[in-house]
Amino acid sequence: MIRAEQLALVIDERRILDRVDFVVARGESVALVGPNGSGKTSVLRCLLGLVPFVGRATIDGHDVVRDPIGARSLVGYVPQKVAFGDARAGEVLTFVARLRGVRRDHVAGALRDVGLEDHAGERVRTFSGGMQQRLAIAVALLGDPPVLLLDEPSASLDEEGQSAFFDLVRRLRGSGHTLLLASHRNEEVSSLTDRTIRLDGGHVVATPVATPNGARVVRIGTRGERR
Amino acid sequence: MRFPVIGLVAARELREAMRSRWFAMAAICFLLLSLGLSMLGLAGAQRSGLAGFDRTTASLLNLALVFVPLITLTLGGLSIAGEIEDQSLGLLLAQPVTRLEVFAGKYLGLLAAVVAAIAVGFGATGVIVGWSAGGGDVRAFLALVAITILLAAATLGVGTALSVGLRSRARVVGAAFSIWLLLVYVSDLGTIGLTVARNLGPGQVFVLALLNPVQQARVLGTLALSDRVDVLGPVGVYGIDLLGAPGLVAVLVGALLTTALLTLGAGYSLFRKAVVQ
Repeated sequence: MIRAEQLALVIDERRILDRVDFVVARGESVALVGPNGSGKTSVLRCLLGLVPFVGRATIDGHDVVRDPIGARSLVGYVPQKVAFGDARAGEVLTFVARLRGVRRDHVAGALRDVGLEDHAGERVRTFSGGMQQRLAIAVALLGDPPVLLLDEPSASLDEEGQSAFFDLVRRLRGSGHTLLLASHRNEEVSSLTDRTIRLDGGHVVATPVATPNGARVVRIGTRGERR
Repeated sequence: MRFPVIGLVAARELREAMRSRWFAMAAICFLLLSLGLSMLGLAGAQRSGLAGFDRTTASLLNLALVFVPLITLTLGGLSIAGEIEDQSLGLLLAQPVTRLEVFAGKYLGLLAAVVAAIAVGFGATGVIVGWSAGGGDVRAFLALVAITILLAAATLGVGTALSVGLRSRARVVGAAFSIWLLLVYVSDLGTIGLTVARNLGPGQVFVLALLNPVQQARVLGTLALSDRVDVLGPVGVYGIDLLGAPGLVAVLVGALLTTALLTLGAGYSLFRKAVVQ
């Protein structure tokens, strides 16, 4: 479902990613793990076409550079840092729904799913970090895309929000969604993913290491051992 | 390129611009100054017996030449740089849209906001002065509105290109004010200085003036307001001699459109390869 081949990224003469390969199968939930600056977020940005990279990345066969609309219409994205300008929550979702060709009556349901149904008319900049994160999750889930790219998705959530988010992701996994999650939180990785890919300094770390749930860190480009 | 998607992005940008405090303040200032000029024009018309509409139109031209580039350079400049800085652009580009659709939509939305501000400022003035003084050359007034929109399109292109190139609000605001000073005030002095220092001929001065969209709009506006060639200044007189009035109008309109297209082309070529966080 997600394929990355020889991804390399250089920004301001600094090598961020170096020949990164991996495959995520349909319905799989995979964590990208590694220390800060290891390239986890950059991999997601390559898959979204947000940065000019070398190599090839596809989502369900759609090349993210040559067919960006085809690729991104299959992807929901929750960024690490969320910002929506000066818009109201309902406006954000309505705008994305129209971009994705999703019926506008799905907006209310998306807000309800993340517990923001009473805040549709409020400006997002007045929201707490957790509320903004929940709105980003609602945006990502609009239109029920089969692939979700999640970048530290529960970092700003409180305990209750995290619990609800974990339940939501488990439901998504149960319904066959493909997840790629960048995280350095053990609980998130162990609860939500089947296997992990460890990055360090833009490279894949080859040594397999057991994670708390028994999954194994594997070299990118090879299929990991499933639980 | 999908036009409905461009329309969606443009509508969002228009809404965001209308909510921006800076834009609201600039639009209100433009409206108040337009009304102030029209009142002064009317008072003078009552004393001197001159047609209020024409006098007001001439005053509005000078106001537009100063104010419109200031609004467009900063508004265009802050648009993409602001979204790169607060990282909201990444979430937009993660949707099924192309960068060309986002860039075009943003530009058109901002242009619509500026056109709305121009329409309100000039519209209110036109109604008040037309009601009070009556008569006057309505065609010249409408031509002035069209010239102002062309100037806005050109300088908004410059602002948008700055926004992508500089990527930070602080840098963009500094550059926008510098370019505004250059276009509105310094370029005249520079042209005079260069003419004296290099002993430039009228053809070279004409070409130099054509490089500045504010000068292009100034000559176009003057042509629309007056049949007298001497009020055009040396550049205008040379242009009329060389091309005739219709030819000069075509060249100046073409130069403003070319400025808009070239700056937008430069901005987009940066935007399509830009690193977005």
